Amino acid sequence: MSSPVDVSTAAPPASEQADSGLAIETHGLTKRFGERTALDGIDLRVPRGSAFGFLGPNGAGKTTIIRTLLGLTAANAGTMEVLGYPVPLERAQALRRVGAIVEEPRFHMHLTGRENLKIVSAVRGPETLDRIDPALARVGLSERAGEKVKSYSMGMRQRLGVARCLLADPLLLILDEPTNGLDPGGIQEFREMIRAMVEQEGRTVFISSHLLDEVEKTCDAAAIVDRGKVIVQGSIAELAQGGGVRNELILGVDDVELALTTLGGSELVRDARRADEGLRVELAGDPRTVAEINATLVRAGVGVTRLEPVRHSLEQRFLEVTSRLDAAPATEDVEEVGA
Amino acid sequence: MSAIAPTTGAPGPPRRSGSSVAVAGQMLGADFLKLRKKRSTLIWALVLAVAPILIFFLVSAIQHASNPVKYEPAGGVKNFSDGLRVVTLFFGPLAAILIGVEAGTGDASVGVFRDLVVTGRSRMALFASRVPAALALCWVVIIGAFALLLAGSFIFASNLPTPGGALIFNGLGFALLGTGVLCVIAVGLASLTTSKPAAIIVMIAWQVVASPLIASISSLGSSRRAILSQAIAHFSPVHVGEGGHGATVTMGEGTALLVVVVWVAVFLALGAWRTRTMDA
Repeated sequence: MSSPVDVSTAAPPASEQADSGLAIETHGLTKRFGERTALDGIDLRVPRGSAFGFLGPNGAGKTTIIRTLLGLTAANAGTMEVLGYPVPLERAQALRRVGAIVEEPRFHMHLTGRENLKIVSAVRGPETLDRIDPALARVGLSERAGEKVKSYSMGMRQRLGVARCLLADPLLLILDEPTNGLDPGGIQEFREMIRAMVEQEGRTVFISSHLLDEVEKTCDAAAIVDRGKVIVQGSIAELAQGGGVRNELILGVDDVELALTTLGGSELVRDARRADEGLRVELAGDPRTVAEINATLVRAGVGVTRLEPVRHSLEQRFLEVTSRLDAAPATEDVEEVGA
Repeated sequence: MSAIAPTTGAPGPPRRSGSSVAVAGQMLGADFLKLRKKRSTLIWALVLAVAPILIFFLVSAIQHASNPVKYEPAGGVKNFSDGLRVVTLFFGPLAAILIGVEAGTGDASVGVFRDLVVTGRSRMALFASRVPAALALCWVVIIGAFALLLAGSFIFASNLPTPGGALIFNGLGFALLGTGVLCVIAVGLASLTTSKPAAIIVMIAWQVVASPLIASISSLGSSRRAILSQAIAHFSPVHVGEGGHGATVTMGEGTALLVVVVWVAVFLALGAWRTRTMDA
């Protein structure tokens, strides 16, 4: 057990903090396990009413920050606020409207699904008892609620874990790798449920995952973390673009050299280079200049066989920033993109 | 996740939880539910508490039936006293240890403890609710065993005197005290170690092997008063040993009470400390 050292408790009173526009805010959050630094000065800002992805490879520190935010383990330095309340100073108040699944959801296997919810409800307070049946209905477990959890599949346990979160009527849901063990249909339903919680009910959902595609499809914004550092954070679109708007094309041509020469002299093109797919061209301006570029190449005698705008994916960006970290782990600054 | 319909409207500001008494009552009920539904623990506790009494009466009754001259009837005050020792000092404590250890490690061993911690409820409250829940189940089992003992003492008494009201009352109190103290200490030790096997082995080894052995070493003198089982035996309403009030080691009532209180307080404090500080 690490002792809580240097964790500031001098945050403003809860009455002033609770109206903050951020569901989670951390400054310089640091957690060490002996010599190993699991969280290295994490600065995180999760806006309310959004689905926020916390992306990173295995061992990046995703679960550690969740455990620290929830008070399961103590930070060594830094400050945290959850729903506007300073943690750990006002942890009880902060977590009253937080639902969380840390790692895989665990239950008393010898009890039924409903009994497991009753146990958490007893701890949360009498007002949550009335939420048990609606929560079970919401995750589609009403008919199996009387069965012992040991007979549940992994997917059903995940759903029961979500039902357990709903007992808090949560303003903030913290889900650690929530789609683990779900089949494709279950993942789709899970994604829809998350989006409904955000869009229809105004809840904030914080999802830790190493599944880039999942975060890209489910979340509004994300942070990429590696080796205990937040490398970059922003909206999904901004992250994928890499912080600036980059309009790129993939070109298939019959004469690569001639095409490169032609494009090199065009003011419409910022950069053109060979790529596995043919040519990769970064436009200097508006994407509507694509037709003009095509015309320029044709006029120069280049046969264009393929012309495809590049869709920047979060996966690309993820690989870029994490591999960049490999190159310069000690000097990488946290990058914040967009507003 | 087919039924996706909002269960609540837009979230409002944090609401106040129910009164602390209501929450404590609910938490106790929840911990009791976890324990009583743990079939393996409950069955073994019942077997340990009840089976020896059944065997005791069965063997005594058979002996008496086969040779009434040599063997007295299986009931009466003397057999009640012998049975009370069995329940309170030998097998009852084993049942109490099983239940106490289950209560102390149940949440942590299956990984549910962290899910309770993330509710924001204090860890002290989580620890505190384990103790009365364990005691409640332990005493249900022990009262069952005591009822069996009492029934046997009357049914098989034949012409022997039966236990009076005072002896029955004091005997029940002694059984509840002896097993309750062990149960509470087991909750504390199990919460400290968070390991079910380790806590069970340590407690049974101490109770069954180490305590009697240390108590028998007369050269240790008055330091043996610190042995828990000796202090508990001091409160026995029936003769259980050589010392005053039936204990092997002689001590005053105040000393015996102090020893019991210190044991309970120390292990509760250790369990509470561990629950409060451990990574969940």
